[in-house]
Amino acid sequence: MRMAPRDGPVSQITPEEVQRFCEFLYRRTGMSFSESKRYFIDRRLDERMAATGSPSFQSYFSLLRADAEHEIEHLINSFTVNETYFYREDAQLRCMTEDMLAGIVSRKPEGASIRIWSVPCSTGEEPYSIALWLMENWPQVDAYNIEIVGSDIDTRALKAAAEGIYGDRALMRLSPDIIGRYFTKLDEGSYQIDEGLRGSIEFSRINLIDSADMAQQRDFDLIFCRNVLIYFDDASRRVAAENLYDCLTPGGYICLGHSESMSRISPLFNVARFPDAIVYQKPEAKNG
Amino acid sequence: MPLIKGGGKAAKDSPKDAGPAAHLAALKSTDADARWSAARALAGQASAVPALAEALTSETAPRVREAIMTALMRVGDEASVKAMLPCLRADDAGVRGAAIEALQSMPDAVAPFLQFLFGDSDSDVRLLATELARNMPEAEATRLLCALIENESHPNVCAAAIDVLTEVGTRDAIPALEKCAERFATTPFLPFAAKMAIARISGTEA
Amino acid sequence: MAEAVAARTSEMKRILVVDDSSLVRLYYRAALEKSGFTVEQAINGLEAMEKVLSEAFDLVIVDVNMPRMDGLAFIAALRSEADAHIAATPALMISTESERQDMLAATSAGANFYLVKPVSEADLVKHAAVLTGASP
Repeated sequence: MRMAPRDGPVSQITPEEVQRFCEFLYRRTGMSFSESKRYFIDRRLDERMAATGSPSFQSYFSLLRADAEHEIEHLINSFTVNETYFYREDAQLRCMTEDMLAGIVSRKPEGASIRIWSVPCSTGEEPYSIALWLMENWPQVDAYNIEIVGSDIDTRALKAAAEGIYGDRALMRLSPDIIGRYFTKLDEGSYQIDEGLRGSIEFSRINLIDSADMAQQRDFDLIFCRNVLIYFDDASRRVAAENLYDCLTPGGYICLGHSESMSRISPLFNVARFPDAIVYQKPEAKNG
Repeated sequence: MPLIKGGGKAAKDSPKDAGPAAHLAALKSTDADARWSAARALAGQASAVPALAEALTSETAPRVREAIMTALMRVGDEASVKAMLPCLRADDAGVRGAAIEALQSMPDAVAPFLQFLFGDSDSDVRLLATELARNMPEAEATRLLCALIENESHPNVCAAAIDVLTEVGTRDAIPALEKCAERFATTPFLPFAAKMAIARISGTEA
Repeated sequence: MAEAVAARTSEMKRILVVDDSSLVRLYYRAALEKSGFTVEQAINGLEAMEKVLSEAFDLVIVDVNMPRMDGLAFIAALRSEADAHIAATPALMISTESERQDMLAATSAGANFYLVKPVSEADLVKHAAVLTGASP
């Protein structure tokens, strides 16, 4: 890594080029950065230009626009924190137990099934977080059968999810009490989640843009689909949105990552505003 | 234990179950859900393009219309472009916008039509069509958009073309942008837009 | 001179600019910020709807022609929002000349005023000041 003084000339990229880049990034991903983040943007751009061997901003920008070598994915990764841990973006989990579930159970008899999908679930932190949060924060949890499914395209991640072994960092947002009750300490800094929880969540491989894959997953009341659509191009997003629509029950909700917006992707869903989060809802009316 | 292992739950009408003939028939159903499912099942099938094109002309449900356009987009051939082009003249802005988005995602198939669209007598069509150059290779997009603004008389069409050039234009666009700014020197916004486009393309201060 | 007057009273007034063109957003934003307004942006009507639901604005400036919920649909959705405060947000509609008929529809749908593209900085700032209550 190149060290440069914070206030010195750190980059060959001009302000106009940064603007051009930021407009593209905003249109393509919805991520937007204010002027105060100039240093941050310059550093990331310098890194990506070096990594791709681009001699100038112009040549890097051409490569980026053409998405050569999946550069958009690499770029997004360099701009985002790719860490996954328990209770990440907990405002949506709070929104689930404070608001969304009330709407969902209002359409169901007591004792009915509530189906929740975590896609992509990566190594399992998200679906297990949903389970833990429900047991800890939803008083009606015993009145319904709750089915949680975790899916991902990466079978290695799914294997790790089913094993449910995590390090200290993944557990940093959980209280010692919760860790004590739901995890078994295997080693120093290594914990395995409760066998009952591991056995109650189904893990399966899925490709969000494969309609045949997605037809195997139906009747979800709530879908967490965070930080994945941002990587897709417009065409793939559109297909994924239609697939997700078919996986939801009418009136069901979908939660995206905090920098993502379904409104940039598809008019299929309504925006639902709750105190803790903005989420998307499949309309209840059948037609239209 | 309130948590139970549910697992996958397959669609009752899995696309594999029904044949293409059933889907083609369902495109004409009075039930919007049936038309939606049919359009989704026919996505990417070149042989279904004529039926999808026909369905598009009469579809009134926005959701189904989107699905038909997605289905055509996934075919991505000349016939699917032709099926969507009339939507650029629709009275409903939602139809025009949906068509632009679908067409934008098939730049190779759209490219041969662009010059023709830029010559349309309707300035609204020319304006919308500028967006179609956004996902094209930059040299070709630059050439087409510059040819448009050289002779375009409508300031809003020029403004739209300049907006796209700001993202995709190469340095070859600079003379055409300068000329356009001169031609519309007294029109609000255009000189500003051209100046910004030149600055972004050249990477130097406006 | 008009700018200086607006600047004294436009402080803290928040405006949401909605247009699919980045240059148009930049143009409006530059003009409005120069006069002291705080400006947020959205790329289409749906994204604008999300923004007005999550934070209060003193004015929304919205283009008629946009993909993913056009200006007319946005105004209709805004005016029918359950939260009365959000529903009452003033809206300035911008259209191209050939959409003049839309403008009649827009005003009846609840736009407070409209301007025809291309819009000058002076016109934009003047009407923003009036509609936000930043000037009499």
